[in-house]
Amino acid sequence: MKKRGRNILSILDNAVRWTGFPARVANDMSDAPSVDRKHRPLRWSPIWPIAFACILFVISFMWPSALLTSLGAVIAGMASSIHINGPLGKPSLEDDEREAALRKDSFLFCLGLLFFLNCVGQLLFLGLSILQNWQTAQRVSVAASAFMLNLTLLGCLPTLYASWKMRQLPKE
Amino acid sequence: MELHNRIAVFRAEQGISRRQLADAVGVNNQTIGYLERGDYKPSLELALKIAGHFGVAVEMLFSLERFEPIAATFKRAGEDE
Repeated sequence: MKKRGRNILSILDNAVRWTGFPARVANDMSDAPSVDRKHRPLRWSPIWPIAFACILFVISFMWPSALLTSLGAVIAGMASSIHINGPLGKPSLEDDEREAALRKDSFLFCLGLLFFLNCVGQLLFLGLSILQNWQTAQRVSVAASAFMLNLTLLGCLPTLYASWKMRQLPKE
Repeated sequence: MELHNRIAVFRAEQGISRRQLADAVGVNNQTIGYLERGDYKPSLELALKIAGHFGVAVEMLFSLERFEPIAATFKRAGEDE
């Protein structure tokens, strides 16, 4: 029984190691300067989660379902992993002034756009729910999908902005 | 407003790589590349650090107007003498 439990735990440990996150956390927590910091631009991959989240949001108006919200959560998770692997990554003490400025510009752009979209979206949501006499289930479904779309945009838009702003440098 | 610079010229003259210059002034080597290409405008602190590293005044490295070609500078200097 004990051996079996140990096997399951070691399988789980290996599965976690396979994701690469423990190595990344260890690297981020170490004091040694990381020589090979990757800030690769991701110009196309953030577009997919945004597109899927938009499609789910539109579908949620027609067919309210908890499954859509769950799918939205998965897409929002994908968006956060894209953000970590993108040019902005995680703020680090090794960031220089250009990287800090790029991060600031990207988030300002993203938050500005989200602010505008949410202002317009809330009015639309209120108007449609009154005019079409939505049931509670539909209201919850649309609101949940909108929340997931917000999370996805927050994860992907700054990466997309920074990736398109950073043109590839020629090799020295 | 565009900020022109001659970092690449000074770097080539002194034979140092982007990484060496980046390490000397405490930035990422990509930042030096973006500076040279004019995609990023440095802070005054960074501009002074780079100028200090090359041992020249900051106006020698950065200018709001386009720098004249090095050949023209030498030619003019020769005519002045």
